Amino acid sequence: MAEIAISGVTKKFGETVALDSATLTVNDGDFLALLGPSGCGKSTLLRILSGLLEPTAGTIAIDGEDITDVSAKERDIALVFQSYALYPHLSVRANLEFPLKSRKVAKTERTARVEEVARILEIEHLLERKPKQLSGGQRQRVAVGRALVREPKAFLMDEPLSNLDAKLRVQTRHELTTLHRRLAATIVYVTHDQVEAMTMATRIAVMNDGRIEQIGTPEDVYDRPASVFVAQFIGSPPMNLVPATVESREGQIVLHGEGVGGSLFVGDVPEFAAYVGVRPEHLRVTARFAATGLSLTGTVEMVENLGNELHVTCRVGTERVAVRASREDGVALGSPITLTADVEHVHLFAADSGRRLEWIEEPSTDVVDSVPAAVAV
Amino acid sequence: MFTQVAAPEAAVGEPRKAHRRPPLAPYLYLLPAVALIGLWIYRPMVEGFGLSFYDWNLLPTSPKEWVGLENYADVVTNPEMIAAMRNTLVYIAAGFVAAVILPTIAVLLSRKVGTRSKSVYQGLIFVSFLIPPIAAGAVWRWMFAEDSGLLWTAANNAGLDLGNIFRDPSTAIWAIIAIMVWQMLGFGVLVVAAGVAGINPDYADAAATDGAGSWRTTMRITVPLLSPTLLFLGLMAILLSAQWSFPLIDLLTQGGPINSTTNIYYLLYQLGFQSFDAGLAAAAGVVFFLLFGLVAVGFVLLSEKLNFHDN
Repeated sequence: MAEIAISGVTKKFGETVALDSATLTVNDGDFLALLGPSGCGKSTLLRILSGLLEPTAGTIAIDGEDITDVSAKERDIALVFQSYALYPHLSVRANLEFPLKSRKVAKTERTARVEEVARILEIEHLLERKPKQLSGGQRQRVAVGRALVREPKAFLMDEPLSNLDAKLRVQTRHELTTLHRRLAATIVYVTHDQVEAMTMATRIAVMNDGRIEQIGTPEDVYDRPASVFVAQFIGSPPMNLVPATVESREGQIVLHGEGVGGSLFVGDVPEFAAYVGVRPEHLRVTARFAATGLSLTGTVEMVENLGNELHVTCRVGTERVAVRASREDGVALGSPITLTADVEHVHLFAADSGRRLEWIEEPSTDVVDSVPAAVAV
Repeated sequence: MFTQVAAPEAAVGEPRKAHRRPPLAPYLYLLPAVALIGLWIYRPMVEGFGLSFYDWNLLPTSPKEWVGLENYADVVTNPEMIAAMRNTLVYIAAGFVAAVILPTIAVLLSRKVGTRSKSVYQGLIFVSFLIPPIAAGAVWRWMFAEDSGLLWTAANNAGLDLGNIFRDPSTAIWAIIAIMVWQMLGFGVLVVAAGVAGINPDYADAAATDGAGSWRTTMRITVPLLSPTLLFLGLMAILLSAQWSFPLIDLLTQGGPINSTTNIYYLLYQLGFQSFDAGLAAAAGVVFFLLFGLVAVGFVLLSEKLNFHDN
């Protein structure tokens, strides 16, 4: 297995920049998810990694060896297509053998490797069938098998679960996770589904508009989203964002805005505009404001009962705020509601750049009038 | 104590009789087309079959004379007919090359050309197909004309004496074939290009990441996936090249010299409408209909076998 270093990779189609200076290292054994909405450049990056697309600028290295100019054929990287791209005129066995025959692997070894992969993926009984005689899930396995059989340095997967139904998707997710652990394989996995990324990946690169917004473990990305985009892309329902003004009052950093109030840290900053973020599960329905932390007041607009919990949508100022409430909270449609969240669950984003603001305790208390102690990440 | 939760009450539905009649409208929509096909295609076919057992000169006033299978015996022994069949096979082989093999090579080679230049290139090739065969034949006759034609002069300058190409039994058929190939090539390129465009590019990409070179990808992936298209073109080449050559033969050689360029359709036409031997022409028509029918059935069976398109 291998480490993939992507450095300053840019791809332009005419004037359109599909991928803008992507820099990222996929560690040996990583399951890296490239996560983003359609058109964010994640598939472009994957195709560049596979060698099917040439970057306009930048380099790609595997284990320190520059492979930017190496053709797809010569790269030791397997790609699983969203469409699976199983050769329709060949049997499953011939599909699995194809990459081995292309590399002139001897017949006995070929047969042994095909049998081995078929055993791992439990598709031994399908070997003589044609792709059109397989179900969606079986095709998906064969597509993974065709990548596995080569024993490549790394695997690239382009939304391989998007053509499966919900139940099969969950099952296949578990299988891919298990497979990754078992092979200790380096996998780069493109998806627009945050659940796939969160559940399978060891690291996630969130992409938007041709740029990488954040790289981190699923926990990092969920707990400390680096930008408004990441905050709203990950989580279901996504993180609530409400505009507010941040300023100091009596030695406390406080928030205020329409329906928004709160006291966060001890310190001093000049006033600035921000987005306040809080996840639906971190909001509590209470009767009164908390002394510290975030408080929101609004009206209940919608209540959805999921059985185990309620999804409550409130109107706070002009914004909608989602809350995961308990059925015991006694939330009533149309009535006023007060919501609170602890300081550690409150996220701040700069209103202008959309980047995350982290609070750093000032080294000494006598520093006054300095730059804001909140720094953009 | 426990009480069991009852299921919601379920009522038993009354069994219904089938009331809806099968709809008539679709059949009415089909009727005019079916009637016309029956009137203009199948009725003459049946009448032609009947005619093949008679000796008749097409004149309404002269009697039809029952001769049984005599016409059929004539068809298989007539030396003109045998020459025509041999030539037909040559035309078909040439049509196959022109409509299937050359276009496939041309399209596969031009795959790597930019989209716009490819359209221009394929457009230019296709133009020859749009020229009516009669016009094409007339122009080519000038180009092959002895002492003055463009091609004749060019060949002569290269030290090759074409002579009067349409008057020489050993060269006339090849001149006709050259014109036919030139015309059919465009049709073939158009169809093969459409076939290649219909192949999901993921297959070629997958083959590339699977380590296959362009030759292996072409031979093992592209051509097999193209085979339904190639089969269709092959069938077209076989069924149409004898017909396609008809106007060229009629214009340039009238089947001569010494039957060296005639084919079965041209001979049929001559027998039926120049010698007025309706019975013999009908018998020959029936024989060829059956032969071509067999070929067509074979191709249809083969195409069902080669049909992979699953998603």
